[in-house]
Amino acid sequence: MNRAPAALWALLAVGGAGVVSTYVLDGAQRFWANWLLWFVFMVCIALGALFIVALQHVTGATWSVPLRRAPERVAALTPWLVPVALIALFSLPVLFSWTQPGAASDPAIAMKTSWLNVPFFITRLVICVALWVVSYRILVLGSVRQDATRDPQATVRLRRFAPIFMIILALTLTAFAFDWVSSLEAGWYSDIFGVYLFAGAVTSGLAVTSLMVIYLYRRGRLPGITEDHLYNLGGLLFGFTIFWGYIAFSQYLLQWYADLPIEVFWFRERTTGTMESVFILLGVGRFFVPFLALITRRDKKNWKRLRWVSIWVIFMEAVDVFWLVSPIQGKGLHLGWPEAAFAVFFLSAGLLVVIRAMGMGEDTPVGDPFLPDGRNFHLR
Amino acid sequence: MSDSVFGVLGLFGSADELLAAIPKIKAKGFAKLEAYTPYPVHGIDEALDLPKSKLGVLVFLIGSLACISAFTFEWWTSTRGYPLRTGGKPFNGWQGWVLVMVEATILLSTFTAGIGMLFAFNKLPFFGNPMLESKAITSITRDRFALVLVPVGGTLDVEGAAGALRAAGAESIEVVRVPEETKPGLAWWARTGVAIAAACAVAGVGTAWVIRAFPTIKPMVNMQVQPKLNAQSADAFFANGRGMQLPPIGTVARGYMPVVDTTPDAAGTNLFNPLPVTAQVLTRGREMFNLHCAVCHDRLGTGKPWLDSTYHAMPVDLQSAPMRAAPDGFLYWVISQGIRTMPGYAADISQDDRWAVVRYIRALQRSQDATKGDLK
Repeated sequence: MNRAPAALWALLAVGGAGVVSTYVLDGAQRFWANWLLWFVFMVCIALGALFIVALQHVTGATWSVPLRRAPERVAALTPWLVPVALIALFSLPVLFSWTQPGAASDPAIAMKTSWLNVPFFITRLVICVALWVVSYRILVLGSVRQDATRDPQATVRLRRFAPIFMIILALTLTAFAFDWVSSLEAGWYSDIFGVYLFAGAVTSGLAVTSLMVIYLYRRGRLPGITEDHLYNLGGLLFGFTIFWGYIAFSQYLLQWYADLPIEVFWFRERTTGTMESVFILLGVGRFFVPFLALITRRDKKNWKRLRWVSIWVIFMEAVDVFWLVSPIQGKGLHLGWPEAAFAVFFLSAGLLVVIRAMGMGEDTPVGDPFLPDGRNFHLR
Repeated sequence: MSDSVFGVLGLFGSADELLAAIPKIKAKGFAKLEAYTPYPVHGIDEALDLPKSKLGVLVFLIGSLACISAFTFEWWTSTRGYPLRTGGKPFNGWQGWVLVMVEATILLSTFTAGIGMLFAFNKLPFFGNPMLESKAITSITRDRFALVLVPVGGTLDVEGAAGALRAAGAESIEVVRVPEETKPGLAWWARTGVAIAAACAVAGVGTAWVIRAFPTIKPMVNMQVQPKLNAQSADAFFANGRGMQLPPIGTVARGYMPVVDTTPDAAGTNLFNPLPVTAQVLTRGREMFNLHCAVCHDRLGTGKPWLDSTYHAMPVDLQSAPMRAAPDGFLYWVISQGIRTMPGYAADISQDDRWAVVRYIRALQRSQDATKGDLK
């Protein structure tokens, strides 16, 4: 464990050097496009994990209590969204065409200026990130504190707050998706886009949860966790994979079929030319691979299977965000050393945050009164 | 009464007791066990060493087959059998086929799961199971869990099996015997046939009677019944009792002057354009031309159709010399009556608008053959 952080710090330094060089050598547009990509990716992972935590409280699940600390620790990425988001604000004049002077003369944008204006945009970002950090502090730190106090009332408070968080998440994630991804091409709109980003966030949140659970499970740090718990995680991942496929294809089919110039140009940029290969990879990789890999009951219980599917799903989340953000840089596949440097930088930084969060509280929420129920969970 | 034993049955109070008993009984050498429970018990397949159900594989295969069939069907009809351009989409627009593929997959998978489970795996058309004759069956369908030790190779130690079950915690023991086998005889088939025929007769006669006794009930007639005369309906107001009256002979509706000439050439000599050349007339003419004519004759009248080449349309070039020489009445007649494959537009374009179109065609012809003098 000690050698890993040292290697990660080295990778972070190398990645950081690459990130800075991107700005110097490749210009502002590529730098900010990549920064935005990893900002969106990080939001999806952190909020996906936070959603998994809240989902367990909302549904009153007991089976998941012993493994709930895993998504809670991944959600520790949430406070780190603050610096990433604040830096991302500098991308506004570079990436967002609606901030350009004279953009309002475009009728498609003029219609939206009451929403797309810089002061309101910044206000929304501040509100969203602040709500996420506050929710993280209530949901996760409240649970960690319970390890010491063993106060059963803490569980009651968490379960009361979780539904409120669901509403917060629905509104803020939709606003975030519209602001930071859709509005890159401000003429485009898709009502379902917030749900699209949400579906991706939940699958990747489940994937990181499964990875963390499998890591601890194999080292015997999660007593009481059986194949039945893995079966539930695999089942949720399987289900939300279908949900993602349904949402993604619905959005695509409707715009393809209507063929309206104001909508369809967005898909044209992303499904023709060199982006076509990314589009096919996304459809096959994000839906068919996890779908077929987790289809039987035995596969969902198999930790080896679940581990590689989880890693693949997280990779596909990155491909998904790349597919969404990268085409704003113009035609062609924008993939090279700057993208690699950003990936190294953000992944090593994220892993360092999660490794540090591994010291947060016990491996299982020992203060939760439902812990014995969760440990005794069997599929019968 | 046959002496052959179907098995020795032991009843247990809960699913956990049942699962706990299985290894104990197996340890005593009874290899073949069957379990009967009021609901599916997780883990029982593993405990009994049941072979994995093949239903999942079957559902997957049939589902995949349905998906591929739907794709092939859509592909063939859209690109080979009946290619039809819809909404400007390519013939092989797979995006539109996906819904059919998904629905076919789900439908056939569900059918396979349901019908396959009932007929292929649970042998549905099957007249009875010895278990149905046992005393325990009523409690098994309610709240008891049964384990049945069945013979291996035709032999079973009934006393030993009962002892093993009792030792494993069974509440009660019952020896289930195979009932006398009764093959349906001629009488059974006759009875069944008469019953089916009677059921058909009752249903048919009953339906016929219901239709007569209760004529079609209309729940909401406000739209259907209105205080107005429908076409071809009777009415007592006129002496001839008809709702619709014929117009007086020789009546012509305003703007619908019929074309009496039988050939375009006759019309060319007899008819003259009543409209003046004004901006208003030409604007109206352009509007009508672009709406009705341009799709085949092109906006400039060059006769290059916008339609797909599959339609094999060869419209006349309105810029050609014969068309330039043709009199207004000729063009008016063709627009009204149609010619060769071109349909008549008398029903779609009003009389004045047809004359306006003629004026506009003249303007188009002049625009493509302008002289210096026109630039004033």
